[in-house]
Amino acid sequence: MKFIVSKKLSDTPVMRIILIWMFTVLEGVLVLNLVAKSIDYGTSLGEWKSVIMGNEAEFIDPLPLSDLVLQVHTDLFALIMIFVMIASVLGRSPLPRQLKVFVLGSALASLLLYPLGWLSVTWFGSASVAAGAFAFILFHLVMLIAGMVLIVGLIRKRI
Amino acid sequence: MPARFVRFAAVAFGSLIFVQLCIGALLFYLLIGFSAEEVMEYYRIKSFHGLLETLIPHLLFISIVLMATLHFLAFVQTKDNGEKVRLSHTLFILFLVDQTSPIAIAQGAEIFAYVKIGAFLGFELVLGWVWMIIFTSSLKAA
Repeated sequence: MKFIVSKKLSDTPVMRIILIWMFTVLEGVLVLNLVAKSIDYGTSLGEWKSVIMGNEAEFIDPLPLSDLVLQVHTDLFALIMIFVMIASVLGRSPLPRQLKVFVLGSALASLLLYPLGWLSVTWFGSASVAAGAFAFILFHLVMLIAGMVLIVGLIRKRI
Repeated sequence: MPARFVRFAAVAFGSLIFVQLCIGALLFYLLIGFSAEEVMEYYRIKSFHGLLETLIPHLLFISIVLMATLHFLAFVQTKDNGEKVRLSHTLFILFLVDQTSPIAIAQGAEIFAYVKIGAFLGFELVLGWVWMIIFTSSLKAA
């Protein structure tokens, strides 16, 4: 965790290169995760609802709760790691404090809403699916933008 | 590193890990159950490859989570450094016992069903305790 306690990351050339590569790969992971989710669940809210809650008209069974929990459990492991890696470097960047609070706060809120939304589908139905889907997409967009900012900052030796 | 950011990081990471632990416990309940008979029944029919499919990602990710969690202890005051060392040893041992006991259950050692449940609950409790120490110290420093 040396990069967390270093004063300026760009002062260590090797660390700077490692972080640029790591964030580049993380950007790829975020994009591919969105693509994988769109293949599994569809690209519209209606399709997401059909997969999770089922659709009698189209003879689609609802996703078993254990499968849904397993999916959220697996997703959350990876998303927490991505959040920690990006937050630990973003916290040290010279960006305005309010912007950092907004970016990290919205990412944290969406990362908490995603599992809570989907796991409350039994009680709140389609509103839960919509909340979970919105949070999942918002988290990925916020992290994609934050990752891009960090890559540019590291290339320009501002971080 | 600003103390405010360390506090934010501790709260953010702690709340996410708490949610993940709750989901893990819910998954354990839905897939297996918390009685020794259910644990034995679930793991007895598993192949060694099937066990490894769960074991490998858990070993990888939970060890990273424990490393990240325990490194926050370096920023907080405890009674003595020995407490931090004891908590680190306890967490990693409980984690390893929890993750590897299904192999023994699948080999027919049914007593490990009780070991598995005990280690799982112990791991969750000790991890919760560590986060309580981190949160309490963060609030005192605020």
